[in-house]
Amino acid sequence: MREKSTTLYLGPQHPGITGNMMVKLQLEGDTIVKATTHVGYLHRAFEKLIERRNWMQSTTILCRFCVPEPDPPEAAFALAVEQIEGREVPERGQYLRSLVLELARLQSFMLWYAGQSGSAGLYTVGQWSVGDRNYVLDLFEELTGGRIYHMYIWPGGVRRDIPEGFEDKVLRTMDYIEKRIDDYDRMMFDSAIFQKRAQGVGVITKEKAMEWGVVGAPLRGCGIGHDVRKDNPYDAYDKLDFEMGIFEGGDVWARARVRQFEIRQTISMIRQLIQNLPSGDYLNKMPNPMKWTIPAGSAYGKVESVRGEFGFHVVSDGSDKPRRAHARGPAYVHGVSLLEDVLVGENLADVSFIMNSLGVCPPEIER
Amino acid sequence: METSYTKEEILAQQLQAAFEHLITEVVRKDTVFAFAPKEQVSSILLYAKEKLGYISLSHLSCVDWLESGELELVYIIWSPETKVNLFVKTRIDRENPVMENTDMIWRQINTYQREIREMFGVEFPGFIGEKEFILEDWEDAPPMRRDFDTLEYVNDTFFEREGREDKQDVRERIANRSGEEIPDFAKKYSRE
Repeated sequence: MREKSTTLYLGPQHPGITGNMMVKLQLEGDTIVKATTHVGYLHRAFEKLIERRNWMQSTTILCRFCVPEPDPPEAAFALAVEQIEGREVPERGQYLRSLVLELARLQSFMLWYAGQSGSAGLYTVGQWSVGDRNYVLDLFEELTGGRIYHMYIWPGGVRRDIPEGFEDKVLRTMDYIEKRIDDYDRMMFDSAIFQKRAQGVGVITKEKAMEWGVVGAPLRGCGIGHDVRKDNPYDAYDKLDFEMGIFEGGDVWARARVRQFEIRQTISMIRQLIQNLPSGDYLNKMPNPMKWTIPAGSAYGKVESVRGEFGFHVVSDGSDKPRRAHARGPAYVHGVSLLEDVLVGENLADVSFIMNSLGVCPPEIER
Repeated sequence: METSYTKEEILAQQLQAAFEHLITEVVRKDTVFAFAPKEQVSSILLYAKEKLGYISLSHLSCVDWLESGELELVYIIWSPETKVNLFVKTRIDRENPVMENTDMIWRQINTYQREIREMFGVEFPGFIGEKEFILEDWEDAPPMRRDFDTLEYVNDTFFEREGREDKQDVRERIANRSGEEIPDFAKKYSRE
């Protein structure tokens, strides 16, 4: 008997995914035969809005590109502007930027724990990690005034210095979170359910990873070691001692192992940054921000976010407004054509599980 | 005495030796620009990928140069060996924007071309990709072009819901509704 094919419109909400996108699935039984992604629920024309604002006003829009990790867009934009302008960042500013970027990675890893385990039915881990994530958001609130959107990284450095007693709070928070991660791991990685769901699912081969331009944990989960922090070090990363998590397999399990390894590296880096924080200026001040012009030119600034390389192509025509600011987030590659390819042959129940593993973030795709 | 070249200068020389009409510029550390006619772009990308080790495509961007009537396509590629970003730039006519399809060189170009077709109106003959990407049933001008006025479009397309008009004094409205009196020190913030 011939199996009947079914069309299913899955989404736009998916468990563990921040933002909305729809996946149109062609199914035979519960096996996916064809997948087509549909974005367009969240287009806010940020890049167009940036073209109507001056350089300083643009920095308030950047963080909104990706809700779970708002700092990499700020940093990539700042790096590109600094390249065009030739503006140096003071050493303390570099350390504070790396500190904020690593804290952002840490809270994003904790959201990933929630999404990845929750989409496998292990809800306890998510409740723990999202609860504990608030301690990192408390640090952000004290440092920047905002819990989610920070607008802290500016071309030339950072917006303000750390408040009194902040270093000690960061170190104590790291001690607490480090202990808690062991609990998450016991609950998630030692679970037979998670192991069975993750192994051999959503496989990306090395060849496919190179062809599709895969970045971040999905690339390192294929056994390929590429990390912007190592390959093109920016800010204070060339002064830090850390390792990339490289695992073989290319499946959800390998990608989870990469993140399990790297969250501990992040905690270690935060400690190093606090312990070696130099004194001095935190910002190489720009002239009057409302009359600030950038020489004509273009540059590509890139940083490593939890989900992979986040880049910004910034073009200046010499005026007080960007001519073009075009973002390229990891989800732009992972969440559209790659996802359509990876989903073929997988089980319907694994769609959001695989999306979480690839770091799909719809607001970043359509911006 | 032997002259020593930087990795950026070596890349610029290699490209210029291989392609006529190509202008290269070492802009800064780790960044080289190559300006090429549009017919040469796919050959340059393939050469850089196959012969020079620029195996990774970082970005494909489009910039509207309204004043000169051109659209600029920028392919940013990267080599894990030299760690240099190579920008391959080409300009096409803004009135008749057609560019060669390059998604067979890197599969991910598919997504970029879909967006550039929709947002800038650039056609890529032979390119198979879903017509709609971010916009739905869009019949207006490509919205990322410089002459598309977002504010004008919003004012023409959408209307303010009654009671949500711009520039109203929210504090005063709330006070009127609740019967609360605004203290003197706060009145100075009123728009009136």
